[in-house]
Amino acid sequence: MAVCVAVIGKDNAPLYIGGIGIDTSTDNELSRQWLVHTALDALEERLVSSNTTTANTATNAARTDLRDLYLGLLYSTDTHKIYGYVTNTRIKLVLVTSSTSPSGSNIRDAEVRTALRRLHALYADAICNPFHLPGDQITSIKFDKQVKNLMLNNV
Amino acid sequence: MSHPDYTQETQHHACLLVLVRGIGGVLKNFNKLWERIQKINNIKVTDSNGQVRDIWVRYVRDYPVENNDWGDFQTHRRLLGLISISKFTNQVELNEVCRVHESLKVKYTNTLYDSRAFMFGPGSNLKKPEQEPETYSVGLDDDKVAKEKLTFSDKISLPSEQIDSLSSTDSFPRSSSSASYSLPEENFTTPSNFKTHAMFYGENDPVLDLEQHVADLINSLFWVVESKRLERSKEKLEKVSLLLAPFEKRDFVGLDMESRNNKKRCMGRVTKNLADLTLQAGLVGESLTLYHSSAEILKSVNDWLWLAAAKEGHCAASAILIYPNLRNSTPLQRNASLQENSPLKLKSLSLYQPSDPFRKFKPNSPLKVSSPVNPPSELTPSSSDSMETSSRQSESENADTESLSSDIEYQSQRSYLTPDLPSIPRQPHLQSQHLLSGEDIAERYRKAIIHYSKYQNAGIIETEACFKAARIAVEQNNSLIASGFLQNVMFINLMLSEQEKIQRFDTLAELYKEIGFLRKAAFCQRLAATRHVSANNPNPDWRRCYYLMLHSFPGHRLSLDPGYAVQHQVGWPVLQIQLLQEVVVAAKRMVHPALATRHMTFLLQAMWPHLGKHEQRDLAIQLQALSAQCEGGPVPLVLETGEVIPPANLTHVPHCSHFTPRPLPPPRMPHLIKSKPQQGPFIFTPIHFGSLERTKKDEGKMEYLWVEDDICEVQMKLTNPLPFELKVSNMRLLTSGVVFESIPETIILPPDSPTTVNLHGTPKEVGELQILGYSTHTLGVKSNCRLKNMPLPNKFPSSFSLDVIPKLPTITIETELISGIESCGSVTNLSLYNGESTECTIKITNTSSVPIEYLDISLQSNMDSQLQSKVFQWSNDDVQSQLPIKPNAVATIMMKLYGEADFLDLGGCDLFPNSLTSNYPSRVGSPVPHASLPTQSSNQQNSLSSGLINRTSGSFRSTNSQTTSWSAPLSVMPPSRGRQIETQILLRYAGGVGSEYCRQSTLQVNLELLPSVSITHWDVLPAEIPSQLYLVLDVTNLTSEELDLQYTDNKNILIEGKESCRVPVPLDRCPFNVTTKTNDDTIDTKSISTSCSNSLELMCSDHITNKVDLRWKLVQSNINGKASVKGITLSQAMMDIVRMSPLNWEVSINNQCIKPQEEYSCNAGECLSLGVCIGNHLSRPLHKLCLSVQFYQDYNNGVMNYKLDNSVATAGNNKIVLSTLEETAKAYHECTVVFLTPGEFKIDIQCSTTEPLTDDPNIKDMSIHQCAGEISHVWRFIPPVAISVTD
Repeated sequence: MAVCVAVIGKDNAPLYIGGIGIDTSTDNELSRQWLVHTALDALEERLVSSNTTTANTATNAARTDLRDLYLGLLYSTDTHKIYGYVTNTRIKLVLVTSSTSPSGSNIRDAEVRTALRRLHALYADAICNPFHLPGDQITSIKFDKQVKNLMLNNV
Repeated sequence: MSHPDYTQETQHHACLLVLVRGIGGVLKNFNKLWERIQKINNIKVTDSNGQVRDIWVRYVRDYPVENNDWGDFQTHRRLLGLISISKFTNQVELNEVCRVHESLKVKYTNTLYDSRAFMFGPGSNLKKPEQEPETYSVGLDDDKVAKEKLTFSDKISLPSEQIDSLSSTDSFPRSSSSASYSLPEENFTTPSNFKTHAMFYGENDPVLDLEQHVADLINSLFWVVESKRLERSKEKLEKVSLLLAPFEKRDFVGLDMESRNNKKRCMGRVTKNLADLTLQAGLVGESLTLYHSSAEILKSVNDWLWLAAAKEGHCAASAILIYPNLRNSTPLQRNASLQENSPLKLKSLSLYQPSDPFRKFKPNSPLKVSSPVNPPSELTPSSSDSMETSSRQSESENADTESLSSDIEYQSQRSYLTPDLPSIPRQPHLQSQHLLSGEDIAERYRKAIIHYSKYQNAGIIETEACFKAARIAVEQNNSLIASGFLQNVMFINLMLSEQEKIQRFDTLAELYKEIGFLRKAAFCQRLAATRHVSANNPNPDWRRCYYLMLHSFPGHRLSLDPGYAVQHQVGWPVLQIQLLQEVVVAAKRMVHPALATRHMTFLLQAMWPHLGKHEQRDLAIQLQALSAQCEGGPVPLVLETGEVIPPANLTHVPHCSHFTPRPLPPPRMPHLIKSKPQQGPFIFTPIHFGSLERTKKDEGKMEYLWVEDDICEVQMKLTNPLPFELKVSNMRLLTSGVVFESIPETIILPPDSPTTVNLHGTPKEVGELQILGYSTHTLGVKSNCRLKNMPLPNKFPSSFSLDVIPKLPTITIETELISGIESCGSVTNLSLYNGESTECTIKITNTSSVPIEYLDISLQSNMDSQLQSKVFQWSNDDVQSQLPIKPNAVATIMMKLYGEADFLDLGGCDLFPNSLTSNYPSRVGSPVPHASLPTQSSNQQNSLSSGLINRTSGSFRSTNSQTTSWSAPLSVMPPSRGRQIETQILLRYAGGVGSEYCRQSTLQVNLELLPSVSITHWDVLPAEIPSQLYLVLDVTNLTSEELDLQYTDNKNILIEGKESCRVPVPLDRCPFNVTTKTNDDTIDTKSISTSCSNSLELMCSDHITNKVDLRWKLVQSNINGKASVKGITLSQAMMDIVRMSPLNWEVSINNQCIKPQEEYSCNAGECLSLGVCIGNHLSRPLHKLCLSVQFYQDYNNGVMNYKLDNSVATAGNNKIVLSTLEETAKAYHECTVVFLTPGEFKIDIQCSTTEPLTDDPNIKDMSIHQCAGEISHVWRFIPPVAISVTD
């Protein structure tokens, strides 16, 4: 079960952080932010390494195109697992699952992948708003609601 | 083992562990010595086979004894050597130092092989060390003696140590060792139980042989390790005892040791142990093989712990070979010339000599066995290639022979300080089968760590392994793997003290930093920081906490510079705010209020946009509380670590939305004395070539000037964003360039309402002044708010620059009127009757310290300049003569004010005289004789005498405005109404150095002109004498008072208020030669006629104006003034009266001259002889004159009868033509007339000319009217001769 979802901009500033408060008391907003923030390192590193590998295998151009946006598990702590996803415009989507809750402990990779894809679609919808300035924080209530829904449904 | 060593690295597996400890008093150069010792981390020893071994050493300052217990498990954990560096000043201290050293030896007795003591006593020249027990002394000053001493000690102690250590593990204290006691002074003696190789120095000695001694120690340690290795390798595999990790001791109680499994376990473990020793002894290649085989064995018996250790060892050995750089992390700065690889040279340098005791140790060793037998090549890694499958047996045999050979070849090479990489013998290893590749190392490490994790008690080993693996991954540049290992550290649950936990986080942070995971590093640092002050920590350390927090800033994308933070708004505001708040708390708790204030200021400033209203308020209040302890200032704070915390300036509190320097107020504004000439015909053009660049460059450049020593002003608009009243004190301007003295300002800002604030200051120098911003002191924090750092929505130029010009004087102006009205202000109000004059005194006081050297007065008003100069009159010379005006001196300017007005009421002509004008134009320019004139005059006389205006009488006529093109404009001066004149007197003054500029003061004078008298109508009448005329004026008193009008020298008349009366003013006629050359000269012939007439009229008008002197006096208020008839207009007929005739008439009847106003009477039928004589008064001849005499009857009702055929008979010509009349010549004509019937007759005598008189424009005596080219002008004899004929 996802406990937190974050959308992070190109410059690694947060665009949106949404969490659901059904977790334990320690899992407040701040700690969620720490979790996502520290995950950025691994995420970036992965991006760099994937870039270099694709650069090395420049001959395989098709592979670059088909690069999976889903980065997989970034890291895990005692209580959480953090998954990453990067869009082609370098918007980072991070999903945090709780490994303490029964449903989150044995979540499958594919589930996370679908969840992140859906999140990507939601994000794309949100920034389609002509009044949204790219790079601004996402304040859409609808987006928030949908994301919360996604987190809950993705049990 | 309970004390993790986070600094461990992979290559330490191959190092000998040596403890360096300072004992006794604090030695001031201890750190220097420690550094020197640390540099000796690698020495080369030639072993018994002549093979050069690389021995690496790891020095530690502290080592927990418990860790020694793991020495069997991993031999590099054993503490092998001890170096004590101690200081003593007297015998007691020396004893203590010796005791501590010995106790240290006891402490590590299980593993310690050798020790050295460096003792630093008082004084610098320690000559006579004394050995108490044996009275043995060796001088230290002599190299030779020292050498002897060393030799001695070698002989005595070193071999015995080796014997001990080789023979038994419990060799300490070495009973047989006899330490060399070299005492600094005779007084000092070491205690008898002190049995250590001690060196004595003066405290300030350079200790040149330190490296040598340390190398000695290492050399001796090597040999012990080497012997251990040999011993281990010779052991019978079947009989080896089980090596145990400390926590395993209980596990194996009661187990069958003889089982095959256990045998194998023993074997594996021993092999692993041997591999460790081999690695430490410098035989890396061989250790690889051993590790491999031990891993194989251990794997088969599922001995996971030791298998992990073997794998780790394998990784370590491989890493050492693959990444030689790991070992050389400390830069080596020794001169390469010192490296000596040649054995001969080494030998010559060697202080060690084959010693007898050592030989005794191996008495049976064959002497012939030498290096050729076991060539070094066999032991080099290349040999290991050939011995891929070398069994332990062969290895041990090999080692055996090695050891056998050692006693002959024993040349303990003190190859100290080898700067070069011992790479040559190592290269072949790379082909070793068991050498692991980079990926393999990581893989093996992972497996090892997994195995370790199966044992809870091996947590520390696992942790250390993780760190080592991470470091290798860092070396491999594989950040993800490194982060994986580091992440694993977090999962290891260890019972650690808070301090160790902090260290763990610290090390994690460091490694994360190394792989560029700054956020992780920051996270760890913050965790470490919180640990420092957690509730579980018995002694919280806020200082460390603070520094850790501070150092985690980069990871949070926080810069200490608020400007940067604001501009590059990146990172996670929520986290940053949290962190900053924690830092503030930490700073506060470590009792550094200045820092706390600074960070709080920073928080408020940099995070302002991300803070809610509530947070802003709370933080502001907190800041106020903090700054109460220590005020924040705009200066960088330097921490103990040398870090600099840049100042944080509050630009959001208060928020500045507007900032502009103001020009000086108008009276003090400098102007150019000489205004620049216009740059071209265009005042405005929308085309600016290159305007883009110019506007960019001149941004913030002000067009106006400021003046030195003069108060200048900057206007700002401030808003207090906080919900409470904000006191901002000490607001000043920040400037650069010329010296500027800013006047502090204190304001109290109400919440959320923009307030305009003016900041003042005085430039003290001439030049360019840049205004960079302003400083505030609010919430207890002083801030320098620079414009360039202002928060974004307001775009200010980075600075405003202004030119400051030299001092200019200032003045105050007082005006004083004669009437006593005084006004200091710039506005003077004054009322004058038309024609009244008064004086105004302007007092100028120089209030500055600069003399006024230039003063210029000019006027600006709503009048035209001509009128203006008449109303205001002053003497410029008088003004200039008072210059310069010294400081505090006063200059006075007298200004005359005159109520200039046009007293002719031209406006009146539209109203009533219309009926009269009908006959007026008929007269203009008309040659037709006017019979009415004489009676008019008589009537006028009557009416004048009555003093009343008979408006219905046709006796007066008003001039028409049609011909008044040159008179004053009607709109300006209507005499009958009061007028308001607003005038500004401009005083431009300057002085001092800046003579290019002046200041300008204006004095407003509001002048009210009240109507006094007006002349509504006028006419001219011929006087009794031909040389005079009467100007008849209808004067109206427009005031409400009685007015006394004096119109000649001795005649005056009283006029009631609002009444008018008619006055005759006798005047001389206008002479010919009044030359008022005005405007004829340039006029061409076409327009000459009108211009001539105009100029003539003007001349006459001027004549009248000058001659008429009307003075009035208000009887009641005692105000007097003048009136003038300036601008009076005259018709042609009037002009003829006004002007002297060019012809002199002499008319006689019966040879009797006719006087004016005289009536002649005769009888009907009487013959009268009429003589007319004309004389030319002009300066030139007249041509084609026609003199005519005509009789008529005037019925006095406007009808004139010229048809007198029946009543008059004339004899002689009544019309003659004179072709020429010379100047001053006279012509005479006579005719005879007979009146046939009685009656009143009049004779119209006139002279006309048809000649245009335009040839000579200089003589403007005549107006030429070219009526159909016939008659150009007519002169009449006036008044016409009247004859009454009686019967």
